Amino acid sequence: MRTTANLLLVVIALSVVLRTSLYVHAAPPKRDEASAEETPLSRTDRDHWAFRPLARPAPPKFAASETIANDIDRFISSRLRNTELRPLPEADRVTLIRRVSFGLTGLPPTPDQIDRFVNDESLDAYERLIDRLLGSPNYGVRWGQHWLDLARFAESDGFEHDVLRPNAWRYRDWVIDALNADMPYDEFVRLQLAGDELRPGDHDALIATGFALCGPDMPDINDQKERRHMVLNDMASTVGSVFLGLNVGCAQCHDHKFDPISQADFYRLRTFFENAQIFRDHPIAEPDVVGRWQKAKSKWDAERKRLRDDRSKLEKSSPRFKELSARLAKHQQIEPKIPHARVLLEATSNAPPSYLWVRGNFKRQGAKVLPGYPRIANPWNDEVAPPPHGKNTSGLRTQLAHWITRPDHPLALRVVANRIWQHHFGKGLVSTPSLFGVMGEAPTHPDLLDWLATELPRQGWSLKQMHKLILTSAVYRRASHTAVAGWPNELRSEAEAALEKARSADPDNGLLARQRRRRLDGEEIRDALLLASARLNFRHGGPGFIPPLPEEIHKTVKAQHWRVDSDESEHRRRSLYLLVRRNLRYPFFDVFDRPDTNFSCARRTRTTIAPQSLALLNSELSMEAARHLAGRALIAQSEQQDSTRASQVTSLYRYTLGRRPRDNELQLAVEFIDRQIAILKASGRQRADLELPQPLPAGTDPHVGAAFTALSLSLVNLNEFVYVD
Amino acid sequence: MKHTPLEHGIDPHTGQSHFPRNGTRRQFLLNAGGGLGALAFAALLHDDGLIAREAERDLASMHNDAQRSPLSPRRSHFKPRAKRVIHLFMHGGPSHVDLFDPKTALVKYAGQPLPESFGAVMTRRNVANNPLMGPVRPFRPRGKSRLQISDFLPHIAECADHIAVLRSCHGDSVNHPQSVYQMNTGSILMGRPSVGSWISYGLGTENQNMPAFLVLPDPGGASKGGPPAWGSGYLPATYQGTLMRPGKDPIVNLQPTARFSKEEQRAALDLIGQLNKRHLRDRSFDTELAARLDTYELAYRMQVAAPELVDLRGESAATKRLYGIGEKETDEFGTRCLLARRMIERGVRFVQLYSGDTNGWDAHSNVDNNHSLYCRRTDKPVAGLLRDLESRGLLEETLVIWGGEFGRMPMSEQGVGRDHNPWGYSVWMAGGGVKGGTAYGATDDVGLRAVVDKVHVHDLHATILHILGLDHELLTYPHNGREERLTDVAGRVVTDILT
Repeated sequence: MRTTANLLLVVIALSVVLRTSLYVHAAPPKRDEASAEETPLSRTDRDHWAFRPLARPAPPKFAASETIANDIDRFISSRLRNTELRPLPEADRVTLIRRVSFGLTGLPPTPDQIDRFVNDESLDAYERLIDRLLGSPNYGVRWGQHWLDLARFAESDGFEHDVLRPNAWRYRDWVIDALNADMPYDEFVRLQLAGDELRPGDHDALIATGFALCGPDMPDINDQKERRHMVLNDMASTVGSVFLGLNVGCAQCHDHKFDPISQADFYRLRTFFENAQIFRDHPIAEPDVVGRWQKAKSKWDAERKRLRDDRSKLEKSSPRFKELSARLAKHQQIEPKIPHARVLLEATSNAPPSYLWVRGNFKRQGAKVLPGYPRIANPWNDEVAPPPHGKNTSGLRTQLAHWITRPDHPLALRVVANRIWQHHFGKGLVSTPSLFGVMGEAPTHPDLLDWLATELPRQGWSLKQMHKLILTSAVYRRASHTAVAGWPNELRSEAEAALEKARSADPDNGLLARQRRRRLDGEEIRDALLLASARLNFRHGGPGFIPPLPEEIHKTVKAQHWRVDSDESEHRRRSLYLLVRRNLRYPFFDVFDRPDTNFSCARRTRTTIAPQSLALLNSELSMEAARHLAGRALIAQSEQQDSTRASQVTSLYRYTLGRRPRDNELQLAVEFIDRQIAILKASGRQRADLELPQPLPAGTDPHVGAAFTALSLSLVNLNEFVYVD
Repeated sequence: MKHTPLEHGIDPHTGQSHFPRNGTRRQFLLNAGGGLGALAFAALLHDDGLIAREAERDLASMHNDAQRSPLSPRRSHFKPRAKRVIHLFMHGGPSHVDLFDPKTALVKYAGQPLPESFGAVMTRRNVANNPLMGPVRPFRPRGKSRLQISDFLPHIAECADHIAVLRSCHGDSVNHPQSVYQMNTGSILMGRPSVGSWISYGLGTENQNMPAFLVLPDPGGASKGGPPAWGSGYLPATYQGTLMRPGKDPIVNLQPTARFSKEEQRAALDLIGQLNKRHLRDRSFDTELAARLDTYELAYRMQVAAPELVDLRGESAATKRLYGIGEKETDEFGTRCLLARRMIERGVRFVQLYSGDTNGWDAHSNVDNNHSLYCRRTDKPVAGLLRDLESRGLLEETLVIWGGEFGRMPMSEQGVGRDHNPWGYSVWMAGGGVKGGTAYGATDDVGLRAVVDKVHVHDLHATILHILGLDHELLTYPHNGREERLTDVAGRVVTDILT
């Protein structure tokens, strides 16, 4: 072992030495650019796996085999066959529909949907299931959340005042709609970077550019230069992380320590955005509408000013003061409004000069820089054309957008292919999805990654086609464990033997002999609670909703920061639509590892901590779901003649876990009900002191009802409820 | 092969903690290569980020290890001077020139403008050209040490011999939230891990029935900047501050609803446990599922431990009097100070108390009014806390920190108020390993800027970690390919105030 370690050390030492002497590509000369000192790229730099040109690997050849469903499996199997590992067989249908439903829509399947799939004997049953889910508007909700995590999306500024961004939802809805419409990924990217330039006058395209402006902001900082500096740095860093998988932000103060990204690279990338007006919301309407609105608004402003001026001359106690105050309040209500959004727009093509900032300090202006692509991600040495004169926009971002979406872009394509894979397998082929530089992990299946990366443009950049390809592979459908009902014993022992081998040979399951178990995100758990209790409000789009907070937290929040929606049905909308405040993460999501929206988040951390159990056990969210679940099970069964405990318990199991209880589970549940009833009867508690089902069917003993609430609460706390096999 | 040979070369028994592991890894490299050459190799490795990557894996495996909770107590880098911290955060910015930093020149030149020799001053509210204002209350030498403390704080003054005042603190922003973030996380930007999170990450906690890091907010209202001030940033959520309040429901979701009895809940927990165990039987290799079973038992124990913690009925009348509990003005803060002691006593690692609602000590319009109020509310409770800790033998192993997000300007604002001053201000420490009765560093003649032995917030943080036995350069966490630290690329331990 020591020898190997020493060998490794020598190799590393050599590579460090070589890096300084063997560079072959000189930095392209930059017109006008006062040369920022920059280490040229070396062959070693270019040779890192992520930066190498993309070639399309041929899928390894196999004799026909049940583990090969499509070409993806050829890559997976070719690595497995060199080991002792045996892939697990396909998961049973109940597991499969639960996995694919959560994976594509963030929702569990309903008992009806499960029955239909399980009983569907046609050969394409599974494919049709995927088509149905990809066609559901809930697909955009789930995959929109993944994208919004990357976009550090929130609906407030953060910092002291955490001011609301009343129009932020328009960008969120744009993302969801684009995904649901299966907008080609290259277009999806281009519009977010330069929708204003690519489609002048198209409001949706304009809203898409809100991507750049989703980050935190400190509008009232003393020095507005500092504010702008921070926001622009955030933009460049985010673009680097999200589209290129490079932590360029690391180079804002000095050259990147490990990756070949210079400080000049960072500020050249930032330069693409410097000509945009970034701190005002722009009207989203036809020019004539905007014109009329501007006229009306200036008239309205003048009137308001007149009223205020008049009032300011008066004593506060005078009747005239009160009269004017009332008129002002009324006037406020008739303020002319049209939709606005915070977007990237330029006023002129004459971009101001841009600079490198020494040590990232906004007070220390360094060398002038011109827009340019990060050298290491630009094997073609593509140059940025200087902006035209006398136009109303520079076109710089359009160039950036086309460059990032080149159909042969090795880095950008590998990054997105890996992101799609990641969410279906709980982990990317590259486990550091926004870190493709030397600090990241190498891909477990480099050929498969490249094959997927080249596949995306071939599929017309369709994300839905990519999903379908991955989901129909055998490796996706594999069981994650061996205890699957209905498996013949010999199959099961074979699987167990395979798993035993997998545990020692491949503890991280990088070779994917089995599928990965995944804990649901907080948003999914909440949505599942609502769906299981038949209360989910599916309304899509529009401003975010504001549900009640636990009283202890609500007390500490400024009233205007959390105005609970008066319409109670709003509180039951899907989690994605819950108002995202930077300074107040919704407690249930917070405890389940929702990212903080201050930086782009490519992969959520996943903790297992006691406050999660407290939240699921004691929160009003859970208890409310438990009451409605109990009510649902009792009502459904009381309508039938043969209503028995067993069938009521079975209903509850189906609503929550999507399956029927096994005999011993049924027995446990019935015993539990009886014990709870005994406890309640002994305590002599009255109706008003019980957690009753909603509704409690007429004629049902309240103690029996409360026992069912307790059973429902227990079921949603199970590992089986919060994990997908 | 996924694992590098290096990783397997590490003695698993020393893998108790991620940073001693780093040390061990270095040790291993020394053993493996031998001599100076190996040292050079170690440096190369570090530069190449290999060590960082391994640390990331270590931490991941720590989280996956069902046997060891991420909050299990862990060894420090070296022998600690204190084991626990109470941070008394005077939110809004208490005035150093009126409390702990007497300036004779400020008395002498009161009413005159700041001499031009001081140069341009950045202020929040354009007060640079306002006349200087002398200290609102007189200062006096206190205790054996003759440490100067203002008449605003007669009780704390009596504890002068326990206190080391850092008179040369400075930060980077004139704004509240940025400075609150910086005092808590080292950075003026939101989203970095707070000191309490770093320390919980570094040391774990001694009481497995309670979170490692507890925050007692001011019931008057939220602080500027809000929860990110005690957030865990890119550290795992386990390490973030948990809000705790006096009274029946100290922690959110701690107790079931009123209509769901403890007995019912216990039966439900038993059922959950039974069914989860069955579920686990077929998935026995999944340590995360097993860990989740344990969290239910921990949650149950917390339900018992937390109400016991906040139940003050067992405290003697004398103790309560010491904290000013029962007196109108000091009851509220006194109660929270006593809670802080009870938390420390029970092994909680880091307790942070906020004094001051959304505006708090932010004395823009009238220092006398504002500080009279806040000093009255906190002076006796803080002194009571120090005395109580001392009499119970807890002070020597507890670090007590008192300070705001910045100080205040020597110039006046609106006549008798003062504006924010991040360029020079005072923070004091007492307890574990701190040399009492000392003043360290100095501001200029009027208290505008730190000039002698300056202590940047990074230095303050390095010192706090040092007192707890942690090397601020070794306590790192890999994030986006960088080994992040509480002190970024700076930090100097102020050894002069240590015993």
